[in-house]
Amino acid sequence: MQVHSDESLVAYLDGELAGEERARIEAWLDADPAARDRLLALAESATLVRNAFAAIVNEPVPERLIAAARGETPMPAAEAEVIRLRPAAAKPASVSSWRRHVQLAAAAGLFGLLVGAGAGYLGNGILAPSGGPGARPAETVALDNWLDNAAGDYKLMVNAGGTLVDVPASPDNGEVLQKISQNLSQPVRLPDLKPWGLTFQGARLVVLEGRPAAQLEYTTDNKAIGPLALIIGSTKQPDLAPTPGQRQDLKLLYWRHQGRATVLVGQSDLGYLWGIANDVAWQLDAI
Amino acid sequence: MSHRWNFGESSERVVSLVTPASVRFSDQLIAVLPRLRRFAAGLTRSASEADDLVQAACERALAREHQFQEGTRFDSWMFRIVQTIWIDQLRARDIRKEDGDIAEDRLGSDEPVRRVEARLTLAEVRRAVSLLPPDQRSTLMLVTVEGLSYKQAAEVAGVPIGTIMSRLARARIALQQLFDAGAGERRSASDASA
Repeated sequence: MQVHSDESLVAYLDGELAGEERARIEAWLDADPAARDRLLALAESATLVRNAFAAIVNEPVPERLIAAARGETPMPAAEAEVIRLRPAAAKPASVSSWRRHVQLAAAAGLFGLLVGAGAGYLGNGILAPSGGPGARPAETVALDNWLDNAAGDYKLMVNAGGTLVDVPASPDNGEVLQKISQNLSQPVRLPDLKPWGLTFQGARLVVLEGRPAAQLEYTTDNKAIGPLALIIGSTKQPDLAPTPGQRQDLKLLYWRHQGRATVLVGQSDLGYLWGIANDVAWQLDAI
Repeated sequence: MSHRWNFGESSERVVSLVTPASVRFSDQLIAVLPRLRRFAAGLTRSASEADDLVQAACERALAREHQFQEGTRFDSWMFRIVQTIWIDQLRARDIRKEDGDIAEDRLGSDEPVRRVEARLTLAEVRRAVSLLPPDQRSTLMLVTVEGLSYKQAAEVAGVPIGTIMSRLARARIALQQLFDAGAGERRSASDASA
């Protein structure tokens, strides 16, 4: 009758018993030390379960869920190119005009949502809005090139199977950062992404905006999120709110803040990438 | 606009038990998203799968907004939608296990022991929950994590209260066994390395 006994103890712990039933269980607990031990074990396991899921409610909610709750249909991945700053190529003639309008409206809505949220997150409105579709061509071409490079660096890193680092992670990551920072105009800081299940694997030098930058490599067992590359460099360009990009199956977020240019590259959902970028931006300013 | 939700330790404060009619439907939905994500995380086996489930639930809720009865608990209504979609997905994939059938898996069996202490990590606890049969997992999440009463959980699941009691007890017993096994492996590894 262990199940029956445990059923009563669980219900007692959950405050679901009253009156005679509750009194009967309390009398049993008074008389039986083994029942008391069992009650403690069940209470402890319930606490473990609650704690294991507690942090989720404090995580940033992915943008795609906010959009879904608002009834805004997110774009399919194939349409993500629409939000690139460079004017998109002409659509195939087979796409009907009304459908194209719906797609463009959805793209504009998502872009506005991301950039608007970015300005709020990364500097309490300090950052200027990004260029958008009307930005000057030279800037958009340069931005596209930087994102191309960042995506290429990421592909190299992934294809090398995690071995393409100049300085591997060590128990003392301060030393790692010191070594990689020797070649940079400002010291690199290492965001802790363990709460996202991401483990720092090492750093290597890459080029961002024509200057040396540090590419920090993070990996995870969760294929939905990682691996992830965080590129941090210096910039003389004005601040730029987080700007999403896509290269094949890769998602990118690029932003500039107070002389620092940062790119986050990964294969995860853009909403997750956005959450991680938010965390990174906060840590880089807070460390 | 910030989307970082900080509800403190008690998520019960997030959504009023009975939502006033004046609150916009989508605002109610956004407010309950963190708890839906947590519930879905307990049901599914990956974060992206959990968010896919929540997204599908949002879309269905908006399509059936007229079916929500003002004066009833909005969170319970949403939990029910999440659970219904999840069960449909399980049936579609034909991977639903029989009640009481726990996968032949043990904590820490396929990964190196990284810590020597016997204490279970949060990830291991989540993994243990994922090993429970679907009905038990769902009941555990609703009552133990989301704090619903047995009556509310019974309404969400569409089963009698007695069934909730029985599923919950079986889930807690199974978890206890999994935790003991995981802690035992920890201790064994610790002893071996000492």
